Amino acid sequence: MDSQVAVKQGLRKAQYIATDEIATVLYLAEHLGKPVLAEGPAGVGKTELSKAWAAAAGRELIRLQCYEGLDETKALYEWEYAKQMLYTQLLRDKLDDLLGDAASLAEAADRIASQEDVFFSLRFLLARPLLKAILSPEPVLLLIDEIDRADAEFEAFLLEVLSDFQVSVPELGTLRATHLPLVLLTSNNTRELSEALKRRCLYLYIDYPSIENELDIVRLRVPDLNLKLAREAVEFVQRLRRLDLHKSPGVSETLDWARSLVLLNARSIDSRTLDATLSVLLKHERDIQRAQLGLRRETPGPSHSAETLQMPDDQEPDNGEEGVVRG
Amino acid sequence: MARRGSSVDERLVQFIAGLRGAGVRVSLAESQDAALGTRLMGAADRSIFMSALRTTLIKQKSDRPIFDKLFPMYFSTGSPPMLHASDALSPDEIEHVRTALRRLSGELQELLRRLLEAAPLTDEELRQATLRAGLEGARRPSDGVWLTQQTLRELNLSDLLERVEELLKQLSRLGLDEGALQEMRKLLRSNAQVLAGQVGRFVAASLADRLRERPRRRTAPEALLDRPFHSLRASESEELRRQVARLAARLRTRASLRQKRGKGRRIDAKSTLRANVRYGGVPFEIIRRERRLKAKFTILCDVSTSMRPVVGFLLLLVYHLQDQVARTRSFAYIDHMEEISPAFAHERPERAVAEVLESIPPGHYNTDLGQSLDQFVHRHLDCVDRRTTVILCGDARNNYNPSRTDLVARLRRRARRLVWFNPEPPSLWGSDDSDMPLYAPLVDCVYTVANLRQLTEAVDELFH
Repeated sequence: MDSQVAVKQGLRKAQYIATDEIATVLYLAEHLGKPVLAEGPAGVGKTELSKAWAAAAGRELIRLQCYEGLDETKALYEWEYAKQMLYTQLLRDKLDDLLGDAASLAEAADRIASQEDVFFSLRFLLARPLLKAILSPEPVLLLIDEIDRADAEFEAFLLEVLSDFQVSVPELGTLRATHLPLVLLTSNNTRELSEALKRRCLYLYIDYPSIENELDIVRLRVPDLNLKLAREAVEFVQRLRRLDLHKSPGVSETLDWARSLVLLNARSIDSRTLDATLSVLLKHERDIQRAQLGLRRETPGPSHSAETLQMPDDQEPDNGEEGVVRG
Repeated sequence: MARRGSSVDERLVQFIAGLRGAGVRVSLAESQDAALGTRLMGAADRSIFMSALRTTLIKQKSDRPIFDKLFPMYFSTGSPPMLHASDALSPDEIEHVRTALRRLSGELQELLRRLLEAAPLTDEELRQATLRAGLEGARRPSDGVWLTQQTLRELNLSDLLERVEELLKQLSRLGLDEGALQEMRKLLRSNAQVLAGQVGRFVAASLADRLRERPRRRTAPEALLDRPFHSLRASESEELRRQVARLAARLRTRASLRQKRGKGRRIDAKSTLRANVRYGGVPFEIIRRERRLKAKFTILCDVSTSMRPVVGFLLLLVYHLQDQVARTRSFAYIDHMEEISPAFAHERPERAVAEVLESIPPGHYNTDLGQSLDQFVHRHLDCVDRRTTVILCGDARNNYNPSRTDLVARLRRRARRLVWFNPEPPSLWGSDDSDMPLYAPLVDCVYTVANLRQLTEAVDELFH
């Protein structure tokens, strides 16, 4: 079977639970030969998706991490002068053999020129991720991570590479891709990407998963956590996301937290467990305080809606059960 | 799915035109992708068909709501078939209803017949009704709500559910038994919904067609750059913020290139030797010293009413460029000096600027730069050193208070540069309570920043 359903199953086998939308986009990307641009809050599994996609498509994953100041020599290729020089030194004797009987200087120069290919070859080219993806004899998946961190100049350069998957190396000529790589770009949206780049890509916005999806993810990745506790944990995280936090916990944080709960042998999510582990979910002191404040205000009772969590409560919280989260 | 399977492409073209009409930028290549994508995925599963369209056509999150709103208008599931009375009622009961029907008023009779006979509205009926309802007058997508209501009224279908209840009451009075009544209710309600849905979709589609014919006019972003700050409307602020982000990106690239490729960077002998050890000491890679240390900014801005727009954009620009600056401290004054840098420490620039301006409400203050400077010199002089560029942003209208030019001169001696951003042109300096002619000779440079373009150029100069 060859459809988005197959993609979805493949991803699941690689431990990634994809929505129909994600599966559709990846399927289209494979068949239209277009890069995918995935945006969304940090920690929703954009990078994880590339690993699962590579596994599902049976391709090697080549990763290019972007950062400010990333340039072509770091992303595409570098010329290995040192190696070239070393070869020249070692081959000196051989060169003498070759040139020893040359009658004139011109003849010697001609002979060297005929051997030029030895010195200007892929041998001395240190391939960086982009070139690696282009030259690979096997089909690969290229992950360009956090493209929004790279400079605008680099984005323009990338555009050129992504449009026809060929690069020209002055010493060697034009190198073309033998297999079109699958490409996934991720962005945390810290800056607006150029229109041209977006136009060339299929766009995928990955949001925080729904309760059911997130529970599925936790069940799949942290099977040791029992169902009841997993559900409580996921519901708790989903409530946290609705608070006004500096950095909402992502799926990766949920998974880390679930693992810590397993490690601590937690039976339920009570205030002691929470105090000890909240820092796994929230990475800012202010957020932790804010969350604790929000939780304390929660009305004791069966209701779990975020509204009760945020709403100021006139009642003094019961001292003995202060901050207890009910599952 | 399209109403007719064969016309998916045609419908797609109309849909894309509708998106463009609503302000989404869709390129030719993207519409081609959409056609290829939908052909590949097929239209059998509606949500997958929608995902395929969305990923190819919508490239930023903010456009998604527009897509989600327009999609059902163009690719509706088609009306579910209306239920015929004979599906729900026995022949006896139908006969009973028929007799009852004759005793109803003409209007209700007509409505009931339509609902019972499962007769959907024809396109012609709908077209006439939307025209009568005032389609010509619709200007915005949001006009769809009243237009739908008006069309329902024209078709004599408004308040359908209430009138269904009314009908049922009358029928019960005419002696229809309870079971049959329940069946009738179900049938009438579902048919009423189908009719209302049909009208809603038709109105939405004709509205989209109409709006497409007369695309919304937007102020050209370039023109906004040259508009004076005080004449900017609130509705344009969104566009302007986007412009500021774009300008900041451009300034950043320029600043970093200047840093990287600037002339006069000296060779760093030690690093060069180290880096070239692997080439046997042959210097293939030249390492240069950082051209200079990154600048530090101290910004003093007047946040009285007239200065607010300028200050807002200045702070926005400078804080967007934080990675090119070693440190920025900012202060706001009207009649006293207040540090506002903490707001920028934990919020994104847009939010922080809004927060700061909210915390210092506009009103009738006695602007006093002299006293504010005095406070600044006493409390915060440590944030001005020889690497610091001090930016004074204000109109120098000082309410005839002491101008304290001595303090400006003192700051000038201490700082690397002291520049003044003034939204007023030199021709107005010195008029009324303006002290600008006193300050101007004491500072390194005065920039007139009456619009976004001038402001951007002035900020760019700061990085030279």
